[in-house]
Amino acid sequence: MIDTLHDVETPEGVSLQLRAAGPVVRALAWAIDAGIRLGAVWFGATLLALLGTAGQGLIFIGMFAVYWLYPIAFEALADGRTIGKRVVGLKVVHASGAPVGWMPAIIRNLLRVVDMFPMLYGFGLASMLLDDRFRRLGDIVAGTLVIHDRPPRLRGGEIHAAPLAPPVLMQPEEQAALQAFAERSRWLTEDRQAELADLLDGLTHARGPAGVEQLHRHASWIMGRR
Amino acid sequence: MKQEQFVERHAGEWQAFEHYLEVLRKGRKATAGERDAVFAAAEFPARYRRLCQQLALARLRGYSPALAQRLQDAVHEGHDRLYRVRRIEWRQALAWLAGGFPLLVRTHARFMISSAILLFAPMVTMIVALDANPALAYSVYEPSDIATYEEMYDPARHDAGEGRDAQSDLAMFGFYILNNVSIGFRTFASGLLAGIGTILVLLLNGVMIGTVAGHLTATGSGVPFWTFVAGHSAPELLAIVIAGGAGLQLGYAMLAPGRVPRIVALRRAGRDGAMLAMGVAAMLVFAAFVEAYWSSIFWLPPAVKYSVGVALWVLMLTWLLAGGRERAA
Repeated sequence: MIDTLHDVETPEGVSLQLRAAGPVVRALAWAIDAGIRLGAVWFGATLLALLGTAGQGLIFIGMFAVYWLYPIAFEALADGRTIGKRVVGLKVVHASGAPVGWMPAIIRNLLRVVDMFPMLYGFGLASMLLDDRFRRLGDIVAGTLVIHDRPPRLRGGEIHAAPLAPPVLMQPEEQAALQAFAERSRWLTEDRQAELADLLDGLTHARGPAGVEQLHRHASWIMGRR
Repeated sequence: MKQEQFVERHAGEWQAFEHYLEVLRKGRKATAGERDAVFAAAEFPARYRRLCQQLALARLRGYSPALAQRLQDAVHEGHDRLYRVRRIEWRQALAWLAGGFPLLVRTHARFMISSAILLFAPMVTMIVALDANPALAYSVYEPSDIATYEEMYDPARHDAGEGRDAQSDLAMFGFYILNNVSIGFRTFASGLLAGIGTILVLLLNGVMIGTVAGHLTATGSGVPFWTFVAGHSAPELLAIVIAGGAGLQLGYAMLAPGRVPRIVALRRAGRDGAMLAMGVAAMLVFAAFVEAYWSSIFWLPPAVKYSVGVALWVLMLTWLLAGGRERAA
């Protein structure tokens, strides 16, 4: 697989495209979470130290909760996102694309112990690099996947050219490419538009801005304007 | 149908759906006006299915990628809303602890027995060996650690009536939860490495507990030690055995998946193991409670403490061996 898109078929029969998240961005999310957890423990400890020895017990319980319960609770209750993952834009889902439930969240977080072995996620990293969906061992056993929550939005601009039928019959992929070119022209410089349009000078029999204009008109026709 | 007509025909539906999703996202912050403006929740599944169909058409007919992306985003969010996570029913969870958990433990009986052997054999061996040769303890522990233990269970302190105060009880409660439940989870999880981690943890714990027990008994601190551990020994040792069994069955699924693909066996074992780990955590929290608040009570006669200890063993074993039987039938 060249790209990181993973197709899952929903019960309704459409494919959802999930973009698997790689080790670097997952490490970043983990680092943010680690910072938050350490901060919480430090802050809680400072407060509870005021309560003396009894406070110490609460600190221990707090440390336990922050270490084990934080990831499980956030993944199961907050749509598969811990705070670090939310900041970076990641999400834990079932391999089927459905939101992650309690059992998978528990499994993948308990098995984090193995992933952290031998030193700072050694096994986990190896697993992520060998798997085509960047899954660590906990993900594989739990049947979960970490995906980018909001894939980069394809920006669609308005096309304002008068429709003109293309001289040849075009394949669907070719039509889609023309449409994409026309919609994204807004974010391309004029030189770049001309450069791309020149690739099709056999179709348009024109170069430069004239070629661009003609391609826009073809795209407008393809989309159905008459 | 061309894209223009397609968009014209369905744009209203898509906007209504997107508004509905937005109101859901806002949750409580949505105003009553916003909530009234969207369709009823009962219509949601049908509208979602229509949207899925339209997405499939958009892809099939090669409409612009931007349009497909917009529909896909709406479908994705609708999918997440429709297939939500079930809430935990606490009553169900407690009922499971009473019946389902012991049943699960018995399902993996051979792993539990192996785990028990791996834990108790070295323990008993060390106790017996140290009875003959108390100095053996220094092969296992640092002299400073042994001195700490001897001081903790010093019979002179015990008779003088020094115990813990209420504040330290809470401190120890918290500490035992943090320490023991973490050990339980690690014992289970390290089973993924073909069970090696679990085996090592069990052997190590057996040796270390046995050494402490044996050394203290042999050097005259027996009564303070055994009266201390009697109470919480049942839940704690049984929990470690079960955590070990959970880890062993996970490692076994990795090594010998049987007639199913390895990944399927691993997933089942992971699920079973995680459920066992939850039960183990409950047992260890209970053990921590007993250890923090009961075990250090020094002013009761040893006979009382021993009988409570025995009673807890009987109770726990009955629960594990007989719990959930009506379900199995």
